[in-house]
Amino acid sequence: MAVLTKSSKKFHLQERESLAGYMFIAPSAVFLLVFLAIPIVASLVLIWTEYDMLTPPRFVGFANFARLFTDARLATVYRNTVFLVIGVTLLNNLLGFLLALAVNRPMNKVLSYLFRTGLFLPVITTTVSMAVTWRFLLASDRGVINWVLGTLGFDAVPWLASSQLSLVAVMFYDVWKTCGHAMVLYLAGLQGIPEHLYEAARVDGAGRWHLFRHVTLPLITPTAFYVFVMYIIGAFQIFDNAVVLTGGGPGDSSRTIAMYIYEKAFRLYEMGYASTISLTLFALLVTLTLIQFVLGRKWVFYE
Amino acid sequence: MENTVKPYVIKEKPAPKLSVWRIKIESLITGAIVFGFLFIMLAIEVMPVLWTFSTSLRPAIRAYELPPSFLPTAWEWSNYWTVITMQDIPFVGFFVNSLRISIAVTLGQLLTCSMAAFAFARLRFPGRDTIFFLYLATMMVPGSVTGIPVFIIIRNLGLIDSHAALIIPGLTSALGTFLLRQFFLSLPNELMDAARIDGAGFLRIFASIFLPLIGPGLSALGIFVFLGSWHNYYGPLLFLRSWDKFTLPIAIAILPGLGKYTMPETLALIILSIVPIMLIFLFGQRYVIKGIALTGLKG
Repeated sequence: MAVLTKSSKKFHLQERESLAGYMFIAPSAVFLLVFLAIPIVASLVLIWTEYDMLTPPRFVGFANFARLFTDARLATVYRNTVFLVIGVTLLNNLLGFLLALAVNRPMNKVLSYLFRTGLFLPVITTTVSMAVTWRFLLASDRGVINWVLGTLGFDAVPWLASSQLSLVAVMFYDVWKTCGHAMVLYLAGLQGIPEHLYEAARVDGAGRWHLFRHVTLPLITPTAFYVFVMYIIGAFQIFDNAVVLTGGGPGDSSRTIAMYIYEKAFRLYEMGYASTISLTLFALLVTLTLIQFVLGRKWVFYE
Repeated sequence: MENTVKPYVIKEKPAPKLSVWRIKIESLITGAIVFGFLFIMLAIEVMPVLWTFSTSLRPAIRAYELPPSFLPTAWEWSNYWTVITMQDIPFVGFFVNSLRISIAVTLGQLLTCSMAAFAFARLRFPGRDTIFFLYLATMMVPGSVTGIPVFIIIRNLGLIDSHAALIIPGLTSALGTFLLRQFFLSLPNELMDAARIDGAGFLRIFASIFLPLIGPGLSALGIFVFLGSWHNYYGPLLFLRSWDKFTLPIAIAILPGLGKYTMPETLALIILSIVPIMLIFLFGQRYVIKGIALTGLKG
């Protein structure tokens, strides 16, 4: 009898706990459902339609997909975006890792604080406001960057007015703004490597290069993998930087895919076609991420 | 220490004197390279911000003087006064709008994310792990995919051109839930058992026992969400229409195009917009760094 009472009470408690669980996640789950899950489903409907938000959506079959292949501007903005993604991902990771290695060396406390805070400073500034600053700095005439180039003996460069360089300017700006963030991630990774592994290797007579090559490098690969995956997803969506710095110009020379989607959806109100483009981006990101996970098995070292 | 030393093989120590010198010289050279690299990078990262400040204090006629200066050479505070009191863009109004939206979004996320995180970390209920996996999956979905349907939803709710359009979709996030869950998981299991033996309800256990213990997590998330909302340019661009509802990033993007304001005045506006977040950052730096390290959150 006593046993029975106990177990039914336990059952009651578990039920209460489940109920509490659902109640606790409810506020967050409802918002995510409305503003994430439903939109994803909705965009799967929109891609079959033509919708300008004034008249009801009209079913157009594969028309939006067919249009993808004849849209010359789409090819241009995708080319720009891929160039940007490759550039910023490689540079941010390389600089972030090198900065983390450098800052992680034993050094004077004041210097260490100065480096860590200073190098992180651009990360906390507003993307839009510093882009305006950089527009002044990059000005062809009396811009600070060209003055620096001049004193180093180089010619002045029309950074924002040239269709060859505008995209490079956007890339540099993103690296300036983001590499401090990558540094913090790599620093956390470096500090997570157990000290006893270094000691063991040192006892075995490993020199500095060997410690780096056989302890630091393999054990930082999980961090590197994570940073690469996150940064590639982020870089495919660069918007603010380019809007404020170059406005996508001259012509389409620095227009990114996110800007193009914005233009199609919210300037021209071609919601159906814009959804189709954004779905290609989504599919591309999913594919790239999966490929990275497969390739990751080859180069990421797990203890 | 010759280069031929193989790793993980114990070798006899080579002749001491020569190699000690060699190590000293080597470490001096690497030290010089490392510090050279750090100082150059520090200059590149900090100079544009310093230049913005020093130039914002120059009189307009001296704005374009070269060489540039990174420490103030003039103290023309009237530039700031011009920006604060300008008629075209009501600075104070825009500032208050930014603040209002950022505070609302931050409080909302702290509440919804901490509740969900508590449930995912500390309560057992059917489907918990599946739902949490779905949360993680939504973190991979790019904003440009959901942007168009979200716009249509907001429009159908009649929220276009209201601050609610920016606040409501931002009231929760999967990333924030994930971050706070990490903090809840780091607390000892006994806490829960002790509280339940005392007969406390789940709401009380959450609010008076667990929540106060994850202060650092809440600080980190709060700062991130505030920064993200303060920086947000895409949202206001999409949802706001009337002049008096705009936020600071919109003001900054518009101002140079008006052609009425000088470069130092534009830069003064930039400084005014980044000062609040700098202050927040200086107070909460530790939490920010820890939060980034835990989740890879981007401000």
